[in-house]
Amino acid sequence: MNHRFLFPLLLLAMPVVSAGEERDATQIVRDAVNHWRGLTSYTEMTMVIHRPDWERSMTMQAWTKGDDRSLVRVMEPKKDRGNGTLTDDNSMWTFSPKINRVIKVPSSMMGQSWMGSDFSNKDISRADDIIDQYAHTILATSEEDGITVYRIESIPNEDAAVVWGSEVLTIRDDHVVLEHAFFDQDGELVKTLKSLEIAEMGGRTIAKRQRMVKTDVPDEWTEIAVNDVQYELDLKDSVFTLSNLRNPRD
Amino acid sequence: MRMFFVLSRLAWRYLWRNHRRTIVMLSAIAVGTWAMIFMTALTRGMVDQMIVDGISVIPGHVQIHDPEYLDDPSVNNRVAFSDTEIAARFSDAGFTAWASRVRVPAVVTSERESRGVTLLGIDPAAEKSFSFVDYDNVDGRFLEGPDDKGIVLGAKLAETLETRVGKRVVLMSQDPDNEIADRGFRVVGLFHAEMEATEESYTFVGKHTAQNMLRIGDTVTEVVFLGDDYRDVEPVYNKVVGLVDDSVRVSRWTEVDTYLGTMMGMMDGFMLIWVIVIFLALSFGLVNTLVMAVFERIREIGLMLALGMKPSSILGQILIESMMLLAVGLVIGDFLAWATIKPLESGIDISVVAKGMEMFGAASVLYPNLDINDVILSNVVVMILGFFASLSPAWRASRYEPVEAITKV
Repeated sequence: MNHRFLFPLLLLAMPVVSAGEERDATQIVRDAVNHWRGLTSYTEMTMVIHRPDWERSMTMQAWTKGDDRSLVRVMEPKKDRGNGTLTDDNSMWTFSPKINRVIKVPSSMMGQSWMGSDFSNKDISRADDIIDQYAHTILATSEEDGITVYRIESIPNEDAAVVWGSEVLTIRDDHVVLEHAFFDQDGELVKTLKSLEIAEMGGRTIAKRQRMVKTDVPDEWTEIAVNDVQYELDLKDSVFTLSNLRNPRD
Repeated sequence: MRMFFVLSRLAWRYLWRNHRRTIVMLSAIAVGTWAMIFMTALTRGMVDQMIVDGISVIPGHVQIHDPEYLDDPSVNNRVAFSDTEIAARFSDAGFTAWASRVRVPAVVTSERESRGVTLLGIDPAAEKSFSFVDYDNVDGRFLEGPDDKGIVLGAKLAETLETRVGKRVVLMSQDPDNEIADRGFRVVGLFHAEMEATEESYTFVGKHTAQNMLRIGDTVTEVVFLGDDYRDVEPVYNKVVGLVDDSVRVSRWTEVDTYLGTMMGMMDGFMLIWVIVIFLALSFGLVNTLVMAVFERIREIGLMLALGMKPSSILGQILIESMMLLAVGLVIGDFLAWATIKPLESGIDISVVAKGMEMFGAASVLYPNLDINDVILSNVVVMILGFFASLSPAWRASRYEPVEAITKV
């Protein structure tokens, strides 16, 4: 699975960049990724997991630094408060105050759902493979509200640890990802991450609300809405440690 | 000796004086013997099949692992010497067949499903002779060498994963530093096995590809050796032990799969119990027949005693009668069993109950196995127990008082 860069996108959204000249597909994706790379961010967001017979929402705080370090901690609901996930490179740890244990997520569980949502652990922990493990081509360029929109098809390399046949990214020229669609190897759409609301927050234009829907179960989805976001903070490396995962220090 | 012939003639004639009773008894013995041998052949066929299948999956009659590997089959417990050293040690040692391989737990993921499997990184050429996969009966193709970049899945697993030949799957495991080791593989072939469980749990990739993916350099987790007969692995075992030091553990297959090992030992015990149970049922008929034969002849026996026949000869005659009855019955029974098993040796299709059979690891085609030792065992047991069962009526007959016996109405 391969929204390696997806979650940081969710967390960070895209900074505004002046519309550049003609760029090739890889460059567009790399720019999109590079614009959250090397930055730090703090986000407060609400994740809604919707199923036909129930729905639950969680409020979370998230910190990111560099291209692959992130820490997510649940604030609401109260019973889940303190549950956290730390990622560093390709590794992932979870902490639950109820059992007071830090657990390294084993490779066998990387494909499983993250906190019961439609995102997998792998979606969350991996962030930087979309550039070099895929071949990108521009399918179409169009104009929407005066901004150029690129449709880019990304096909994973032969030995990439990616199950998708292809992914189609719809990226605006200002680096807001409008849609990220995952196709299986028969070319059938499996799931789509759509930006439902785009707004200016923390000084940047970002996707405020994004929803992940699986094509064959359209009434099950996970939505992430950004409530507050700050960029370019001075985050210490100690934020992204196991001890901070276990014992939050503010 | 002459006495014996006389008694035998008397016994033989007596048997056929009341031929109806003799025939009834003969058929009882014959059916009993048939049941013993036939059932044993079926069971033995089933167990043999389980063992052969099991060994073919383990596989290798003798195996080398890290001492910890059998308890914790992880990538950290690799064989202490490198693959090159292994090849140097064993390739000229004259084994029937041997192979080194990487065998670790892994997770295989398609677009829609993921499953836990056992990853086998193999050199296909080295294993061809003893692999449970028939390389020629693979949809698509089998691996072509240790550097093959493709993956071969079981047909059932591919169905579960909703994938097929030509599509890509991701294999995920751990490297020695507990970091995730993963890689995409194109499915190049789907293998078929007797049991669905086998198809679901094994995936093959090239040995070098697996080593690269797991970042374990030139090391493997096991070396397997094949002997000539799975029942007698000692020669191979001793040879292997002589070639390694104690940094590795050498195990026989019975130690690698204790379930199968126990199974084989249990089979022989089970066989004896089964024969005895059938015989017990049979012995009531036998004793009854002999007792009747003695009662019917009280006057005759009395007369013979009065004419000077020794009680021991009477005892002998009755015993010979019973032995003859048993011997003829056994011959007929053995023949019946042989005649019914022979045509079935090409296999009995029991796929109706295949699911149930699979639960204890047996395949859905049963190949009865007529083992000469089982036949001898059942015949000997019947003769010996039959002898003891007929002792009592014979003893009673020999103890009659001639006068009383003659005058008995």
